[in-house]
Amino acid sequence: MSSASQASDLASFLAPTARPVKRKDIPVATLKQWLRDMMLIREFEIRCMQAYQDKKIGGFCHVYIGQEAVAVGCVAAIEPKDPLVTAYRDHGHALARGMAPKYCMAEMFGRIGGCAKGKGGSMHMFDRANNLFGGHGIVGAQTPLGAGLAFATKYEDEVINRGKSNRVTLCFLGDGALNQGALHEAMNLAGLMDLPVIFIVENNGYSMGTAIERGTTRADRIISKAAGYGIEGVEMYGMDVVQVYDAMKDLADRCRATSRPAFVDMRTYRYKGHSMSDPRKYRTREEEEQYEAHDPIGRLEKQLRSTNQLTDAEFESMGDAIREEVRECVAWADASPVPGIEELYHDVYVERWGPYTGTSLPSMLREMQ
Amino acid sequence: MTTIISQRDLPMTTLEAVPLTGPVPPSSPAREIEFRDAVREAMSEEMRRDARVFLLGEEVAQYNGAYKVSRGMLEEFGPRRIIDTPISESGFAGLAIGAAMLGLRPIVEFMSWSFSLVAADPILNNAPKMLYMSGGQFGCPIVFRGNDGAGGQLGSTHSWCVEGLYSNVPGLKMAIPSNPYDAKGLMKAAIRDDDPVFFLESERLLAFKGHVPETEYTIPFGKAAIRRVGSDVTIVSWGRPVHFALEAAEALAKEGISCEVIDGRTIRPMDWETVFASVRRTNACVVVDQSWSFGSPGSEVAAQVSLHCFDDLDHPVVRVHSDDVPAPYAFNLEQEMLPNARKICQAVRTVTYNA
Amino acid sequence: MPITLTMPRLSDTMEAGTVIKWNVKEGDKVRSGDVLADIETDKATMEMQCFDDGTIAKILVDAGKQVKVGTTIAVIAGKNEDVKSVAANAGGGGASGSASPAAAPAKPAAEQAPHALDSARAASSAHDEEHLDDGGGRRLRVSPVARRMAEEQGIDLAAIRGSGPAGRIIKRDILAIGGALAGSAGENLAGAQTAANIPTATALALPKQASGSVAGSPVAALAPLTSRSVALSGMRQTIARRLVESKTSIPHYQVTMKFAMDELLGLRKKVNDSLEAFGVKLSVNDFLVRACALAMAKHPYFNASFAGESIAIHGEVNVGIAISLPEDRGGGLVVGVIRNADQKSLRQISADAKYLAEKARTKGLSMEEMNAATFTISNLGMFGVEHFTAIINPPNSAILACGAAIEQPVVRNHQIAVGWEMQATLSLDHRVIDGAMAAEYLSTLKKLIESPAALMV
Repeated sequence: MSSASQASDLASFLAPTARPVKRKDIPVATLKQWLRDMMLIREFEIRCMQAYQDKKIGGFCHVYIGQEAVAVGCVAAIEPKDPLVTAYRDHGHALARGMAPKYCMAEMFGRIGGCAKGKGGSMHMFDRANNLFGGHGIVGAQTPLGAGLAFATKYEDEVINRGKSNRVTLCFLGDGALNQGALHEAMNLAGLMDLPVIFIVENNGYSMGTAIERGTTRADRIISKAAGYGIEGVEMYGMDVVQVYDAMKDLADRCRATSRPAFVDMRTYRYKGHSMSDPRKYRTREEEEQYEAHDPIGRLEKQLRSTNQLTDAEFESMGDAIREEVRECVAWADASPVPGIEELYHDVYVERWGPYTGTSLPSMLREMQ
Repeated sequence: MTTIISQRDLPMTTLEAVPLTGPVPPSSPAREIEFRDAVREAMSEEMRRDARVFLLGEEVAQYNGAYKVSRGMLEEFGPRRIIDTPISESGFAGLAIGAAMLGLRPIVEFMSWSFSLVAADPILNNAPKMLYMSGGQFGCPIVFRGNDGAGGQLGSTHSWCVEGLYSNVPGLKMAIPSNPYDAKGLMKAAIRDDDPVFFLESERLLAFKGHVPETEYTIPFGKAAIRRVGSDVTIVSWGRPVHFALEAAEALAKEGISCEVIDGRTIRPMDWETVFASVRRTNACVVVDQSWSFGSPGSEVAAQVSLHCFDDLDHPVVRVHSDDVPAPYAFNLEQEMLPNARKICQAVRTVTYNA
Repeated sequence: MPITLTMPRLSDTMEAGTVIKWNVKEGDKVRSGDVLADIETDKATMEMQCFDDGTIAKILVDAGKQVKVGTTIAVIAGKNEDVKSVAANAGGGGASGSASPAAAPAKPAAEQAPHALDSARAASSAHDEEHLDDGGGRRLRVSPVARRMAEEQGIDLAAIRGSGPAGRIIKRDILAIGGALAGSAGENLAGAQTAANIPTATALALPKQASGSVAGSPVAALAPLTSRSVALSGMRQTIARRLVESKTSIPHYQVTMKFAMDELLGLRKKVNDSLEAFGVKLSVNDFLVRACALAMAKHPYFNASFAGESIAIHGEVNVGIAISLPEDRGGGLVVGVIRNADQKSLRQISADAKYLAEKARTKGLSMEEMNAATFTISNLGMFGVEHFTAIINPPNSAILACGAAIEQPVVRNHQIAVGWEMQATLSLDHRVIDGAMAAEYLSTLKKLIESPAALMV
């Protein structure tokens, strides 16, 4: 086993997973949309950090900066009907899945306009309309749920509707969850029961402050863990949205067709700390700069510019529009009222009894109806 | 926060005891079946009614259930709906919760609730909180069921009374039936419930027989049954200890002490109105709960009764629990640990000043 | 350990009981809840229930024999016990009737096994000590309910010596002074209904004689009566209003007649004996309901209402029966209605009457079950009353008050003989029914009752 930190060595951690993109025919408009999506997530996260420091956001807050290509590329590779579930670093997935940023921001502000009426918070983003089954705060807890979502789509398609299973579930986790029993039980069940679920490890090299090889065996080849459960494992380069899409599309199509699980070691890097209170003493500024040079946004921007598909003016106005959108979303969140005290007793039970007052949908879903 | 309607001013309502052997139908010949059959009938009927319902757990399919509750279900419903799992409680409980979020209605059998401890995170952190955390977007219509409490000399790791742990959690419902009639009616209600239900059976009651009609019925949650009408003391219990309470009431009747025995049936929600109305008549209350006393459902009942019936009490509420020790193996020690009839008699004599 | 069955105490005053019938024989398997025998107490025939599972090893008291309460009457072998050896050790049993306390129903385990550390006891004593340590000054220790009851009755707590731990004044102490209380509904519940499957259950729940201080015991009975006011229940208000209205606005008069009951009682016994297996048990009142209803065909004015400008003669015969309610349901009475009684068989009438009485005394009757009586019967025969008069139940025109059938010297065929006689008195609304009409109705009734075969068809 390597004694040097995997994550601190960009060349050994990230580079080997880079692959040439098979699909050469991705429309420019799509590429620009991905660029825009990634820029939106980043701007959103920056304003989150600001709002956190302004005490507008409480509790724990984990930002996604650096990993944008993963959420955007993976979501692009599946269909809207496919369920998606993730861990607590979930703002990026919510936005990539299509949640309007204002609901996501209002949720963190603890306001009634939030996607969960201010009751979930940063770590618990849910969006039924977009098949986002949460943000989950306990490391690894979402992995059996992911298996269950896949079980349910297959059961619905095959047992209830007597057709063929045709949905695939994406279940995101961090590399820290590799060491949770829940993941291993979930993988065993998924392998055993032929569940169409893809466990995507967003491997950013650190579980909180612990570099991966300090906490995980076979850190250099974590897909070997999936092999133990008879599950196909794929290593992917997570800093390039086109590569992510390209590889994930193949894998998702395969899982959908074969109704089998898969496991992805998605190499990526988080630029910021684990959470807002993380001083990042466990790594060097040099290391961070090294990775930032591989920035997924800069990468796609450069690619589009070099082929003259994106002008300076266009890029600038894109940035301005996104900044304006996020500014408006922060203002909207700030203007949204705090939840009424009656909300305290709402949504504990579907039914109404005792002090509990039943349930109702958040405005996010009501406004869509 | 519970709003309680004052019963003191209302006319006395019907007092009718429902025996543990179930209400006997007036005309057609009564049919007696075991507790385990009642649970199975409920599951099978609901599975026939609703394709979204399925059963999974250890040994539920090919083995016909470790305690034969699911006997024959594999033949009827096939392996897609009666699903054997590996010994992997955390995994399959979480899997079922994910399925429930998507709209299925899983029934998860824990061979023993003692084994659910390794699944504590999904069953406590996910199932009961999903609706709340998602702001009403995703509910969790799921039933967890299995044997709870002392079996027969199973020792400490296998004798958990999880009601002491889990009833603390808002967002879940908990049914603890004491007899076959209730088991079927409550199970059907549990499967149809949109909220997660923890359904606690007792290995000791699985062979207990009672009248169970073949006709369709469900028992609403939060409706207690009066097992015995009495005037001197209200004994509140649920699940297997109801049997101990009735045994004690019988013995105490010979001493001239008339016990009213209330079977809570569900403890979340608890039928406070029935409990309070009874205590207001008897002026004394004993709570019998097989979990440990510290921070238990029994202490909740004692606290609520003390709060709502303070001026009606002639003696502080006394609780009878399992002794505050790990469950022992030796037969005599286990019997002594349980909230047995002897302890209940003593508690009743205490609260009625007959000690 | 074999299980010893002793003669149970099935009524408050029961000293001895007779096994009327054994439902089991030696060697039979029995389960908790089975009815083992019918026991005749000083008051009634009751079912004796089994509380254990096992096999009847030995029956020690034959049917028809009376033994004292507590006498061993049978022995059950437990699940894993040898029936023969249990039977062999069972001994001669209870014929002697020597009921020693040791043979009394098994003592609660607590008395057999003293335990130093009992949670219930510990809880209680800890609580008590708290009060004991409360310093030198006299501080009243009163249970909450005792305090409330004393307040309601204006009893000075300072004057009472509490009988609870550390002198705590408890409910029992207030009861001893104040007698039965209006404010606490529970006080009257001593005769509470019992669980359907345990017919003998709480009927036994009597005040403890040993402690001698619970309501109903001699001490309470000797306590001085206190003046107090009892609020009218809704039912009491209704009774007050309607009967004053009836008695003051209807010109009542009464007509009494005696009925020879020998044939009817004989017929009733025959019918009841032959239908016992079907659970049919006709009462005298059932016959009276049928007779009164059949008589209406000939006497339509008895099934009528005074309606101001006219007399309304009703098209159906709905016989009301007065049902008294037990104390614990607040007392009072209601009239349950047997609809179309002229078209119902005795068996149907009997079933209806039982249902109404039971429901009235437990759940209460619905309006449907109390409405539209066209004639009413009030029967106090079961209390041994010979003769009484009743107030008309508006808008009826008549009510029949029936006494008990009493065995007495009678003249039959010019001979003095011993026979059964019953008196019944009609109260009538003179605006509808005149004296001669009443006499004719009673004659018709007399024929039906004294030749009761007609009631059977």
